Amino acid sequence: MQQEALVKEGMRGKTAAQFKQGSPFSQLWETNREVFQRDKLALFGLIIFAFFALVAILAPQIAPNDPFTPLKNADGDWISNTLPYWLAEPGEDEAEGFTNTFVLGTTNIGRDIFSQLIYGARSALLVGFSAAIAVAIIGTVVGLLAGFYGGWVDVVLMRAADVAFGIPFIPFIIVISAFFDPSIWNVVLAMSVLLWRDSSRVIRSQVLVIKEQAFVSAAKVSGASGLRIIFLHIAPSILPLSFLYGTLAIGWAILTEASVSFLGFSDPETISWGFMLQDAFNSLALSRRAFYWIVPPGICIMLTVMAGFFIGRGYEEVLFPRLRRT
Amino acid sequence: MSEALLSVRNLSVEYLTQSGTVYAVDQVSLDIEAGQQLGLIGESGCGKTTLMRALIQVLPRNGRITSGEVYFKGRNLLELTPAEMREIRWREIATIPQASMDSLDPVRRVGHQLEKLLKIRGGLSQAQARERAIMLFELVGLDPERLSHYPHEFSGGMKQRAIIAMALSLNPSLLIADEPVTALDVIVQHQILEVLQHLQDELNLTVLLITHDISVVAQLCNEVSVMYAGRVVERAAAETFFREPNHPYSLGLQQAYPNLRQPRDTLISIEGYPPDLRQPPGGCRFARRCPLALAECRAEDPALREIVPGHWAACLRSAEMDALREQAEEPLFWRETEAAREVGLSTVAAEATDAASANGHTAARGETAEEILLDMRGVSKRFKIGGGLAGLVRGQREQTLYAVNEVAFTLRRGESLGLAGESGCGKTTTGKLLVKLIEPSAGEIVFDGAELAHLDARAELAFRGRVQLMFQNPFEALNPRFTLYRSLAEPLIIHGWKDEEERLARILDTLERVNLQPPELFLDQYPHQLSGGQLQRVVLARALVLHPDFLVADEPVSMLDVSVRAGILNTTRRLAREMGLATVYISHDLSLLQYTCDRIAVMYLGYVVEIGPSHEVIANPKHPYTQSLIAAVPVPDPTLKTEPLRIREGVPRPTEQVRGCPFASRCPEVREACLEHFPPSVEIEPGHFALCHLYGEHAESPPLSEEQIAAATSTQY
Repeated sequence: MQQEALVKEGMRGKTAAQFKQGSPFSQLWETNREVFQRDKLALFGLIIFAFFALVAILAPQIAPNDPFTPLKNADGDWISNTLPYWLAEPGEDEAEGFTNTFVLGTTNIGRDIFSQLIYGARSALLVGFSAAIAVAIIGTVVGLLAGFYGGWVDVVLMRAADVAFGIPFIPFIIVISAFFDPSIWNVVLAMSVLLWRDSSRVIRSQVLVIKEQAFVSAAKVSGASGLRIIFLHIAPSILPLSFLYGTLAIGWAILTEASVSFLGFSDPETISWGFMLQDAFNSLALSRRAFYWIVPPGICIMLTVMAGFFIGRGYEEVLFPRLRRT
Repeated sequence: MSEALLSVRNLSVEYLTQSGTVYAVDQVSLDIEAGQQLGLIGESGCGKTTLMRALIQVLPRNGRITSGEVYFKGRNLLELTPAEMREIRWREIATIPQASMDSLDPVRRVGHQLEKLLKIRGGLSQAQARERAIMLFELVGLDPERLSHYPHEFSGGMKQRAIIAMALSLNPSLLIADEPVTALDVIVQHQILEVLQHLQDELNLTVLLITHDISVVAQLCNEVSVMYAGRVVERAAAETFFREPNHPYSLGLQQAYPNLRQPRDTLISIEGYPPDLRQPPGGCRFARRCPLALAECRAEDPALREIVPGHWAACLRSAEMDALREQAEEPLFWRETEAAREVGLSTVAAEATDAASANGHTAARGETAEEILLDMRGVSKRFKIGGGLAGLVRGQREQTLYAVNEVAFTLRRGESLGLAGESGCGKTTTGKLLVKLIEPSAGEIVFDGAELAHLDARAELAFRGRVQLMFQNPFEALNPRFTLYRSLAEPLIIHGWKDEEERLARILDTLERVNLQPPELFLDQYPHQLSGGQLQRVVLARALVLHPDFLVADEPVSMLDVSVRAGILNTTRRLAREMGLATVYISHDLSLLQYTCDRIAVMYLGYVVEIGPSHEVIANPKHPYTQSLIAAVPVPDPTLKTEPLRIREGVPRPTEQVRGCPFASRCPEVREACLEHFPPSVEIEPGHFALCHLYGEHAESPPLSEEQIAAATSTQY
């Protein structure tokens, strides 16, 4: 009893500001933390992203050469198709009139592959994250509006989603590239226009469940406006789903950009891992067994896509515990 | 004592969980003699179902039996091999598990499922199985024609009958039924109880009945065991148990719930909840919630002792109980338990007001202003179903569901009205109409002089501030991502309370009023950190934080444990009086409505078929439907056996509009006119109306014979 009274004393006179105002979004942070604490693979994915983000930001500092400029030897010829220094015969470089410091060798027009790889992280992450944000935001808003308002809003938005489902993805990007100048932003645009379809469907279905719950009716009975209910009461519960779709979209976007670049529809002024692969392919690197040219961008693509899926899987385990294997 | 059929000795069961070992059943002993019906009562989480599962060894994977013996016909079941145990289950010990209605295979005919069982386990031929299936169906009161039907063609009550038939198919020596009538409507519940009673008489069945509902035990059992926190705390013959309960917990349980036949002014609320069975407390496990607890009770663990032959109780004060009983029956006395003090219930103010409101239960009505707050004028609500694109694809034509039909009543300031009826009768829809969550299809709702359909935005917000809703499921009623402070502040913010300190003061005041004390402790909590009873108090606080004039409470306690229900009801009732709140309670439970309401309206198929003062409607029901409802409510008294109902099957679909009386198809008093004309609303006593031909111009016409009814109903439905 005495302890209770003490607690009471301490509590009395506390001002409103001293209580947790309890922003409905404050628990989101905890959900996010839970994902990475619980799932080591998701944490691994996060580390991969962090690593590539660091590489992308510090690219000018890390890259030993400019990725575009063909490197020239003492005679002014391109240093083309050089092996990495750790594979080359010692002394060969001096005979050709340059010093072989190339970690992954050079391309057939004398560009430094390692520097290309470093700069490739920039476009990969740029495409990945902007597409993810676009997909998550559009999908979330569409899902919320369609699910909450129902009726004709739902009909219009969901029929639009059906149309988006009907459009094949890669051909669509190729068409877009034909209309606009080749640019990595084509991929972002195409993903924003098409890929909200999955996330909006899933979020809509979740909103349909949540809006039937009593606390939403309670807010309505209290006089809360539609937008207040959507963004204050319902949104916090479905945001982890948006994160899930966002992380999955990162991998998708990078993979798509690589495919489009490989097919040759990318901007030749931008270095990306897909572009590197296409360059290598066109330069017959495969027949020369220049694995040092092909494998590194492939691994980078694989790692970033994997990282996105690992994080997505981690969210899934927290959001849908029933899928968890026992 | 003769040789028992099933004899459990010192059985203990543990669950291994991530947060520690749960000692779910602790040294329990029971005996069931052949032909005896034993009722096992207790709150949820006290080990009833675990015990049942341990008996037939179907515990979840993390559960294990740590000690004890289970003798069945002289054999220790715990020593049998799994194969031998399989032979025992169903053949010797049949079980009706909880919610088993849903365990019928939806893609097989019910008869097929039953016959398959008889052939495989019973070794019968197809013809023999068929014959026995027909016999079993007749035994449980199902038409044998129904053997060729699929489960979805069965109503809930029929499914439960089919499950009982399956359980009995192999002539078991013992039937274990876990909550066999929970979640059924009261009339169906009554019919299932009748079936079980009939089977007991007919087959001299031995039954172990597990339930939280003390009335069901009173109706079906001749022996009672009460479980609390994993232990048996009292054991007696049913009549002794209901006449002279010995353990304070049994006494509390018996008086925690309103009894239709013997209304009480205030109910006992057993505050708190059962102890955490990961760390069971030393001493008596009930001591914290017990008004009779002494210092010794916390130190000494009472053993189950025989007080008088055949009556066992685990209480240190069981010898004095006869002298203490009168004191223990006083609800205010239960405010003095340790658990009640913890939630701040023993404050003098609350005591005084609760007592006052109890005495003023009928007097209060005279004092309140006769001003009409709410007027329902012929309100109807129809829903369109099966239409649209989806319906087109499935080939369904659009149908109209008549959810609420021409409902009319008025509500004065400070008055409380109960809406009663079975599920699907439109009472929840009416509640939603009252708070303007949905709009009526026809008719008008007038609140304080203004018609709800024509409110402008400002008037609507003002209306929202004066009308609130309390929900059935407290676990869903609060946003899981809001702290309680945020949840409670939300209505204030919406209604323009800008000053944070003012908001805080109002919230603290409201929490105190609903008996959550100290209120500051709750503000930083999230809903999942509270128990159901506490949550429902928070839900009530949120409803009252704006000081509304009108509250709609939709099944406010049906999801809560019996022990805390009374606490919520008492608080709501007290606050309604204190704040001059008009209340509409929606419930399937007439005894609860009688306890809380001034007037009761009974709904059937969207129509209000009877409305009047509570005591009038309960004591002197006029409409045949109300009469059946009241007759169906089980009574917590083994000496008062309920009578068979005369109500018939055949609820019309709510998508069809019936020409005559909506109740005609089931009415035991049906007249010629009932099939032809819609009944008039007749005022039988002042303020007591019934929608029935029996009191109108056709009062004298003769009831139809069975044949006439059969002929009429077959053409009409």
